[in-house]
Amino acid sequence: MSRLYAYNPAWPHHEAIQAQATRWHKRGLLTPAQLSAAQAAFPLDFYRPPLLLRIGLFLFTVLGALAGAGLLGMLLQFNFLGTLITTLVIGGAVLELVISGKRLYHSGADNALLYLELLGIGALILYLVYEQGGQGAHDPALGTWRLHWALLLTLAVLLLATLRYADRLVATAAYLNALLLLGNLLLMLPLGTMLLPFVLCAASAGAYLWFTRQLRQPARLYYHRCLQLLRGAALGTAYLAVNYWAVREGNAALLPGYLPASPQIPLAGLFYLLTAGIPLFYLAGGLRRPDRTWLWLGLLTAAFSVFTLRYYRSVLPAPWAATLAGALLTAVAVWATRYLHRGRHGLTSAADAADDQQLNLESLVVAQTAHSAPAAGAAAGVQFGGGHSGGGGASADY
Amino acid sequence: MSPESVLQELLARALLPPAQAALIRADETRRPFSLHRELRLLLYLGIVLLSGGLGVLIYQHIDRIGHGVIVAAMAGLMLACLGYAARHLPPFTWAEAPRTGFLPDYALLLGCLLFVTLETYLQVQYGVFGSRYGLATVLPAAVFFALAYRFDHRGVLAMGITALAAWVGVTIQPLSAFVTNDFWHSRLSTAAIVLGLGLMATGLLAERYGRKAHFAFTYLSLGSNLLLLAATASLLDFTPGAGSFPPVVLVPLILAVCAALVWYARRAHSYLLLLLGVAYAYVVVTYLLVRLIEFTNGFNDGGFVLLLFYVPLSAVGVVWLLLNIKKLLRPR
Repeated sequence: MSRLYAYNPAWPHHEAIQAQATRWHKRGLLTPAQLSAAQAAFPLDFYRPPLLLRIGLFLFTVLGALAGAGLLGMLLQFNFLGTLITTLVIGGAVLELVISGKRLYHSGADNALLYLELLGIGALILYLVYEQGGQGAHDPALGTWRLHWALLLTLAVLLLATLRYADRLVATAAYLNALLLLGNLLLMLPLGTMLLPFVLCAASAGAYLWFTRQLRQPARLYYHRCLQLLRGAALGTAYLAVNYWAVREGNAALLPGYLPASPQIPLAGLFYLLTAGIPLFYLAGGLRRPDRTWLWLGLLTAAFSVFTLRYYRSVLPAPWAATLAGALLTAVAVWATRYLHRGRHGLTSAADAADDQQLNLESLVVAQTAHSAPAAGAAAGVQFGGGHSGGGGASADY
Repeated sequence: MSPESVLQELLARALLPPAQAALIRADETRRPFSLHRELRLLLYLGIVLLSGGLGVLIYQHIDRIGHGVIVAAMAGLMLACLGYAARHLPPFTWAEAPRTGFLPDYALLLGCLLFVTLETYLQVQYGVFGSRYGLATVLPAAVFFALAYRFDHRGVLAMGITALAAWVGVTIQPLSAFVTNDFWHSRLSTAAIVLGLGLMATGLLAERYGRKAHFAFTYLSLGSNLLLLAATASLLDFTPGAGSFPPVVLVPLILAVCAALVWYARRAHSYLLLLLGVAYAYVVVTYLLVRLIEFTNGFNDGGFVLLLFYVPLSAVGVVWLLLNIKKLLRPR
């Protein structure tokens, strides 16, 4: 069983224990001596640098790998299949060797190699299915058996990669691939288009329940990070599957021929209700449990529902909408902060003492979004320049 | 992993007395769920939307509202924000002041934003500063620096540095430098380099003498960004202007600043600065190699093949460097 795992399964185990012990220490529940004893008993002997170094490792690994592949391609005189397969073999060997040799654990470099490897395999599959797969259409089209086989192959690759490397992005890609496969199958049925939103929503809900149950099992600790992200992804796809904008525009895209505007869909009232109701359901669920995944998905889907509304109905002119929404948001946030200051209903607005901030990016964010000085053009006194209102760009969403 | 199973593991290894485990268990069930970050996000979004929407609204209805009303409303709102922040003002200290909550911080930020809007409005409408643009841009810088030091606010400090850079003739918001600023003007880039050096020196001195030592990172990151961006841009300029530094000065300058960043990053464990130093040094070394090939034999076969091998090998080298950075940078 442990041969399946690319990384040492003790690493996520020790990491989880150390993270929890550090949180307790920050809250003053563990003495420094106890913390260092726990750190010694569950050592982290893998390499994973802080976020910024991971980004650097990722970028330079991609640069090096692509340049290396280009060099190899030159040596092989740009034979497509030969270059691709040789690169994939070498890349896979390097990936395995650096993980076992340098003890990398989602450190940026191994992520980059894994993603490039999977992209290469995906390209190979599409090439084999669409260029070498005999007669027929050469463009991937929805609702065809050819696409079905291609998606089945990529899903198998992504699933195997997820099982072995437990990478969050790959896991999400595998999940979305599975949904796409399901959708493609449905589109081959009569009435498939009608059923598509509901089946995808139900499949997402089922996936959510399965991910949540897996998350509770200690034996699945290796996939803990994947499952946490997948729970959020499943909530997101459950919403998107029945979101009015997604359904209406998706339906228009599936209809044959050119349409000047997307036509109204059947059961529009139901989709209005779901688009408005699901964010509230997520937010209420997130506050009641309380569960951060539900809370964040509630915020994201609420923003998307506002977008959906404004896409079809111009309720208010954009500046008025931004002003009112901003005033409302500010008021709600200030009220909630003061109301929950002492902690009520199991909720508090005070910072969790154990929240470790990886980056103090706030000052940089402020420097970017806040226009802090009169621009030279406005100061020149030609006209009152409209671009000077403290981050007015966000009003486009609202 | 649930907290309970972590407790079991720690108990099994006798790393924790059972009484303390019971205490932790009780705390885990009693402790409220923190909405701190979510509320901060909502507040920030609200402030951005509100100030953006209001700005556009005022711009559209300027004929109907009347200038006096607008000025009075903005001034009133600004004073209210600053007053709220001042009511929660901690006593002054050169060290990092204890936080009294995030609402005063945001009130201060909103007040500063309103100050800029108000000043611009007054200048455009009434021409308060006339053609003394220097005064118009140095005033917010002075106000923001004073507020940042008194209220111990790094965000306002960043705004002050930005205003200072505007006064020197360049805006250093990290992204707009790529979008709007024209670094090809050699005099501007020279000024930016000097200002960047000054900011970096200020940051180092602040830390050295314990005068708001926690501001050092803001000074260093913004200053080094400005300097390296301007210096690299004028290094890669094909038609350097009269006032810009020659490459003989720029290359050692950039490399020295990169070395200083790496040195500082090692002390402060700041990986942002480390990455900045490595990335700019990589660009400059690549530039040197290309110029060297160009100088010796032009781009014939040998030079081309050299570059072909240089890119993957140097990328692998940087990856190796980053992987071993802990070992290389271990403090003595």
